[in-house]
Amino acid sequence: MRSARQFIASLALLLAAGSAGAQAHAEDAVSYRDAYRAMVQFEKYGGPKNLLVSQLQVLPKERGALAEGLQLLLSGRSTQLSLPLDLLGRTVFPLQKAAYDDNAALSLSRKGLGFVLRPQVSIAVRPDGVYDVLELRAGCAQALGFARYVDASQRARQCAGVRFVFPRKTEGGARLRRPDSGEQVLAPVIGEPDDFPAVIYRFQAGAERGQVATFNAPLAILPLFE
Amino acid sequence: MNKLLSFVLSAGSLASGAALAQTPALNLMPDGSRDMYVGLGVQSAPRYEGTGSRKVSALPVLQVEWSNGIFISGMSAGMHLSSSPTVEYGLLLAIQPGRDESGAGTDVDGIGLNATAPPAPLTPFARGETPARLAGMDEIGARLQVGAFYNTYLNPQWRLTSSLLVGAGREHDGARLDLGVQRLAFATGERHRLSLTAGVGFVNRQFNETYFGVTMAEASRSRFQAYQPGGGLQDVHLGARWNWTLSPSWMLTSNLQAKRLLGDARKSPLTERSTNLTVSTAIAYRF
Repeated sequence: MRSARQFIASLALLLAAGSAGAQAHAEDAVSYRDAYRAMVQFEKYGGPKNLLVSQLQVLPKERGALAEGLQLLLSGRSTQLSLPLDLLGRTVFPLQKAAYDDNAALSLSRKGLGFVLRPQVSIAVRPDGVYDVLELRAGCAQALGFARYVDASQRARQCAGVRFVFPRKTEGGARLRRPDSGEQVLAPVIGEPDDFPAVIYRFQAGAERGQVATFNAPLAILPLFE
Repeated sequence: MNKLLSFVLSAGSLASGAALAQTPALNLMPDGSRDMYVGLGVQSAPRYEGTGSRKVSALPVLQVEWSNGIFISGMSAGMHLSSSPTVEYGLLLAIQPGRDESGAGTDVDGIGLNATAPPAPLTPFARGETPARLAGMDEIGARLQVGAFYNTYLNPQWRLTSSLLVGAGREHDGARLDLGVQRLAFATGERHRLSLTAGVGFVNRQFNETYFGVTMAEASRSRFQAYQPGGGLQDVHLGARWNWTLSPSWMLTSNLQAKRLLGDARKSPLTERSTNLTVSTAIAYRF
């Protein structure tokens, strides 16, 4: 009985503090320092990464919000930046000591819109839209190397392929050119209504040769691990 | 003495905070930078380990990390030496609160984020309002413990932790080994993060003799019978920490820890209640 009273008293202590905190919850912003810590790991990584790009991705709680020209705002005592977001909510994250030391805040240009941030590593998009299969394999291997570097549980996974993500209003297909068997069209897959069309190219066993040529520039090329 | 040590710990870190810089494992902040939380809250805890009598007291919060790997987290400090994001190891210093006839043990808390410090040091006797309770027992000064920690991440959410500290006890020869597993902060909402811990503590004979033993001399002048404990498994503990990020600068950090004394510590005449709960909450500012 005494222990029950102690427990209830303890919970009351926590809840009382929680109520006080709720009133102090004022601004809709997240810490630049937390984002910096997540993003700088890629910069510190010493393995091969020349085929990769690292970006910060904003995931708004409201679907469709990214189509409205949303921007990520970096606000500190000595730093004020507007970071444009692409259709996937990604932006190049500025690693700035001044913003870190200021404990700067990251917020969205549309107030009141909840969001979370996450780092995203993808394979760099080529301007000519033509990707050698060996290069895609190498890009996926580089991404897997980084994933294993930051997450020990990824060591058992292998590269299975890549996913080309396209804007909704463009033709999102690609063509696979093999030296021995001609061309094969890779049709886009569309999932949920709000999902972006994507072409999945799975690596074949053995030393596959060929090229993947996209009809239009993809938004991102994401590695697939299995 | 304990209050003085706590003050020195706080004042020292605040004074040097502007000069140095870093974080755990590899350097995840700009060179020359630091990350610091300072706050104040309340704690409800047993008056001493093993009693059902509780007290509510003020709880300072301090956590500082510098870019060179040095960190302070509550009553512990140390330095990260690893360059891998999946393994952490390094040197550790911790203060073991002392004890007098009225009890002892002022705590300073961290906020749990990225900290590799072991669970808060055992405070077998907290400063209480029942001076007669420990009348006749020897006074034991606060002890600076030295040691090391080694943590390995199973994945970014789970890590196995271990730490060894030596230097507690009457003759500075008490040793404590902590082994644990942590589910690191996971988002329960945009601004809420909850982390869970479970672990066991092993101590040597000298540690238990100091904090749970009763010498013949103490028995002759106190209400306790002589008791000479051995070493071994001392406790098992479970903990939950809830961090509520109110803004990039303000955080509400709350901690709940259940600890059950085992082995010879549980059998000590000083132990009236083997399982106890400590709960705290504090508001912290990020500098």
